[in-house]
This record gives sequence, structure tokens and C-alpha cells, in this order.
Amino acid sequence: MTSPIDGDLYQRVQDLYQNYGHAIDVDDLEAWPEFFTADARYCVIPRENHDRGLPAALIDCRGRPMLLDRVVALRTANIYNIHFDRHLVSPAVITGRDGDVLESRVNFTVMQTDQSGVTRLFAAGVSYDRIRVEEQRLRFLDRRLVLDTYGVPELLATPL
Amino acid sequence: MQDSDYIFREHDLDRFRWPDADYAHTPYRVFKDSAIYEREMEKVFRGPTWGYLALEAELPEAGSFKSVMLGNTPVVVSREEDGSFSAFVNRCAHRGATVVREEFGKADTHACIYHQWCYSSAGDLVGVPYRRGVSGKGGYPKDFKPAQHGLRKLHVESYKGLIFGSLQNEPGTLMAYLGPHIKEHLDRILVKPLKVLGYHRQRISANWKLYFENIKDPYHAGLLHMFAATFGTYRSTQEGYTLVSDGGGHSIVYSVMGTDDHDSVSEHYKDVKDKYQTDFQLNDGTLLQWTPDFDDGIGNLIISVFPNLVVQQILNTLATRQVRPLGPDGMELVWTFFGFEDDDDTLTDDRLRQLNLVGPAGYISMEDGEAIRLVQQAIQGETDATSFIQMGGLGPIVDADHVVTEVCTRGFWKQYAQTMEFAPREEGAPVPEKAHD
Amino acid sequence: MSKQWHSVMKAGELEDGEVAAARIGDMPLAVFRLGEQVFALHDLCSHGNARLSEGFVEDGCIECPLHQGLFDIRNGCPMSPPVKEPVASFPARIEGDDIQVCL
Repeated sequence: MTSPIDGDLYQRVQDLYQNYGHAIDVDDLEAWPEFFTADARYCVIPRENHDRGLPAALIDCRGRPMLLDRVVALRTANIYNIHFDRHLVSPAVITGRDGDVLESRVNFTVMQTDQSGVTRLFAAGVSYDRIRVEEQRLRFLDRRLVLDTYGVPELLATPL
Repeated sequence: MQDSDYIFREHDLDRFRWPDADYAHTPYRVFKDSAIYEREMEKVFRGPTWGYLALEAELPEAGSFKSVMLGNTPVVVSREEDGSFSAFVNRCAHRGATVVREEFGKADTHACIYHQWCYSSAGDLVGVPYRRGVSGKGGYPKDFKPAQHGLRKLHVESYKGLIFGSLQNEPGTLMAYLGPHIKEHLDRILVKPLKVLGYHRQRISANWKLYFENIKDPYHAGLLHMFAATFGTYRSTQEGYTLVSDGGGHSIVYSVMGTDDHDSVSEHYKDVKDKYQTDFQLNDGTLLQWTPDFDDGIGNLIISVFPNLVVQQILNTLATRQVRPLGPDGMELVWTFFGFEDDDDTLTDDRLRQLNLVGPAGYISMEDGEAIRLVQQAIQGETDATSFIQMGGLGPIVDADHVVTEVCTRGFWKQYAQTMEFAPREEGAPVPEKAHD
Repeated sequence: MSKQWHSVMKAGELEDGEVAAARIGDMPLAVFRLGEQVFALHDLCSHGNARLSEGFVEDGCIECPLHQGLFDIRNGCPMSPPVKEPVASFPARIEGDDIQVCL
């Protein structure tokens, strides 16, 4: 079965995932909402809820304004453990295409490191995504992160 | 202080006593000490308490079951054929293996994988392989009685859709244990059949009792949680009430939205850096749009029942939180979010959107995970020091018509210390002999 | 496929109140004698992975060796917990010297 996209576009998809994780890892949280379309949805749902058909999510941002609110709250309101993140994602699997919208799936992990330089696995899971192909850049229309690590260690602040 | 030579340095728990009868000083070692932890598992979680197990709505059919922890005892709670609920300790009567391995499911019987000893949903032993031997050889003696080898059963009682269990031999009734304040506020929330929306789980590197201190403490809520203070979901300047049970261990804290004004808030928050930001606006204000479920204006209400339950109403979010100790240095918090069966799609959607406010990633709650972790971190190695719990004053542990108080925290320690037999000695009472090494 | 009578064992091999294992093709059977009558059930308990032919006959019932659930020998009906589902029952007869089961 041939891929629904060509090599160049596939590379752009890979770059999207890598740049997304990197922005969060270097604390460029302000760049995070820009990876999404204006009407995008970003949802982190515990795998136990996903598997059982229960709707409760940990984070559910509907539209870029809610993504912006997450960032502003993290910067000015919320207090959370001092740490830095490192995203590791699998190669993307393109599962479908409908015009300029791609369906994609990646496995993801996020490591967290504390001020003593101790790294631990913070999150693992799979993300089911839809990506809009624009001329200038690709953006997520929809990210649904199904979190295997739903026994959240301490708290969940910086985005997965 | 009496007996100070013995309280903080001795390892003999029978000599350990709370430093004061106001319960305003908590010895930090209670968050760290392994011997104290083991005693808690016995005297608190297997003692004269009722622990929250599950919602009835989580067990919809006959044979539905859920595995939970009560302290460090694994328990399976089930719905029976006749609609009643049962619970057993999840350990095979044969050689101690976990019988039910799944977190949840539905089954008529449970067979231990090791030797296939088979139990009913209520924990009665109903089948034992090769009981009569094979080809006339082996087997159990003729006088083997299955009734003597069932799983240890809990007393189970339900109230308004919440299932509680007790491992004590003869507990009093659940209603006597909960008391009138808790009953009144459970009645307020649990008015209709419930519908489960899902779970959050959080594993915090802190002693379980630090979590209770946290949720019983309205003092911190408007100061640690800036999001709550800014948007008025909770502020110490609002009209609020603090209710505490006779035993001290249960409490209700709530506040009424819209009852403070901008000037009074600015005045009271002026010394608190950045906590009340008048120019902080949400880009999407729908997060905080809510249609009250109840008509009393209460936007934030936290019920806590000693030793393992919190019930919350925060705007439209409704949940139970079950506290599961994981040794002295850790705990698991399991949030069960619910709505009502007759909620329409819009209301359900509101509840789900507002989950952004609560849980381990919640705008108004994530800080709790950090705050109590910081306590556990900083008390490492501490043998003698105590905390200082006097906001709202000392004296009797009774209700207050405000929320600028730590009286519920003192109440928790009172019930804890009495249950653990750590209450201060009466004047003139004899001090036990020091244990010989 | 139409049903046929199959000889599974000699009548003299099964005493009153006994059970024995037999097989017709892929079908394992538990064969019983109660007085002058014989009965046959599928030799697999409906509750667990156990052979009824290894169980105990008492009062017209077969007790599964695994969890002591009871089935009525005559018709495979469940008679006591933990068994709830019946086991298949097949016509059986003594024909001359043979015990036969119809499958």
C-alpha cells in the first residue's frame, strides 16, 4: 500500500512533531499555541477513560484561546514542580488523508528532570492527530493524547 | 511539655503522645515514621472508621466489581444479585495470593489463579479443586468446611450512592459515623442518580495525612491557588463557613461566590505578591461559565470524611477523591468524576470542560501536589520539630462562620491522635515504662 | 450430518453409580450408569476447564472436581453454584453388550 503522502510532506510532518516537543522542552511555551489552528482541539485523556469510553480528560483545550490561557496560567498563576522536559516521539504513521488534512499517529514519551539532574519517565502514550497542511507550515487541527501513564506523577503542568 | 524526653526520641509508640491538647503542633515524624505508618494501617484503616470504597454508579450490574485499597488492605467491592453491595479482602484464604487481579469487571465468581479456589462475589468459598482427592487419593479431610475458608468480609453500608466499608469487627452505623453535618452536605449534592464521567489518578510523593491537612485548610486555598483567587472561584474574603464533626475528623468548608467586592479583596490581598491580578483575563471565558446545580450560590465546597474521602463541588464539577497511602512517603489520589443521569448534553459538556480546573492538571488544584511534596521533602530527617497550626486561634474545635481558620486541620489531628492512642495524657496519669533495648 | 448411534464402551465396564470418560471423534463424553439406565454428558464443565468424568456421582448428580458444582446427570442442568450454565446431554442406551451414545 502506497503512502498517502510524498517524502517531502512526510518530512514536514516529522519536523512538526520534533519542533513541537522541542519548543516545550526549551520552555518556549509561548510558541506552543502556534502549533495549532485557531479552532484546534488539544485533549489529554487517561487511557483508562479512553479504553472504557468515559469522557473525562485531564486537559481539554477547545480552540487556540484556551491553549493561550494554559500558557498564561502556567506563567503567572500556577505553581508547579521546578523541572525541565524532554519529549521523545516515535516516527509518525500517516493513517489517512482527506484533502489538506492528514491523519497521523505517534507514540510519545516525556521525560522530566529535576534540579538535581535526576530524570524519570513522566508520561508515555499514543497521540491520534489531525494535521492541516498549510503552505507555510503544518498545524495541528486536533491532538488527542491517550495517556498510558494515567497515574500522574505529582502533577501535570507543562504540556505533553 | 510533659514527657518531652520520651515523645520525640523514643521508638516505643506506646509512649508517644501529642504535644498539646489543642492539636496545634503536629510532630513532623508522624509523616515519616514507618512504625507509625504500620500502626495507622491497623488502628485507622482497619479500626473504628468507615472508608469510602466506590460509587454505586460504578457497579451497574449484578456481579460488577471494583478493586480498591482501604489503607494498605486490598478490597474488592461488588454488587450482588439482589442489588445490595458486598466487599471482601482480596487475599486468597488458601495461601495468600491476590484473588481478583483486574481493577474492575463483572463476574459471577472469582477463582484464584494459583489453585483455582473459587469464591462467590461476596467472598464465600464455593469450590475447591480435588476436594475429594483424585481416584480416591489425597484431597481434603471429610470435615473440611468451606464456610471456614471464605475471604474476610467487610461491613458495607451505602449512603446516597456512596459505598463505604469497615474492617472493624463491630462498627457503629455509617450514619452515626458520618454525623449530621456530613449527612446534610451529602444530601445537598447527591440528589439524583449519578453517572460516572471518568477518573483522574495522581501519585504524590507525600504522606497521605498531608493531603488531608491540605484539603481541610481554607487558609491556603486563596493564597496558593492564584487562579482561584483571581477568578473568585475561591477567596478567603468571600462569605464562607467551616463545619467540623464532633470527633474532629470530618469537615466541610465552603464559600459563596460573588460575596466579596473588589475593594475588600484588593485591601486584603495587598500584601500577597501577585495573588489577585485585576488585569488577568482569560482569552476564553467559557471555562468559568457555569449553570449552578444548586440554588445556594456556593461555588466551592469540600467535604472530607476521615480517613480516606473527599467529596467536592467546584462550580459544576462533582467528584469523590479516594486517598490511598503508599507507605509513609507516598500516596495515590483517585478522583471519580460524576454528573447526574438526567444531565443534558450541554450540562455534561460544561462539567467536562470545567475539569480543566481540577485534578492533577487543574488550574485551581495542581499546586496542592507541589505544596505537600515540599513538606515531605523538607521534613526529611526531622525528629523533634512540629508544625504550628493556630490560624483562627486555639481552643475548642467547633464550627466557624468564616474560612480564615485552620480549625479543621486541628480537628483532623484530634481524631487521628485519639484513634492512634496518641492523645495527650491526662494530668497525673502514669507514664509507661521505657522499653528495654 | 445426521445423528448416529456410536458404541463407546462395553456395558460391563461401567457399574451402577460410576462415571467413565469416552470419546466420539472430537467430542469428549462423560458416560454414567444409574441402575439399568445410562446417560451421557459433554465431558467439560460449563464453569471451568474440568472433566466431569473425574468428578463424583451422588444422588443423581455429578459433582465437578474443580469447584464442586452439581449437574443433573439425566439432562445436564446446573443444580448448584457455582455452575449456572447447563452442559450438553446426549441420548444414551445399552444395546446388547454395548453402551451407545447418539451424536
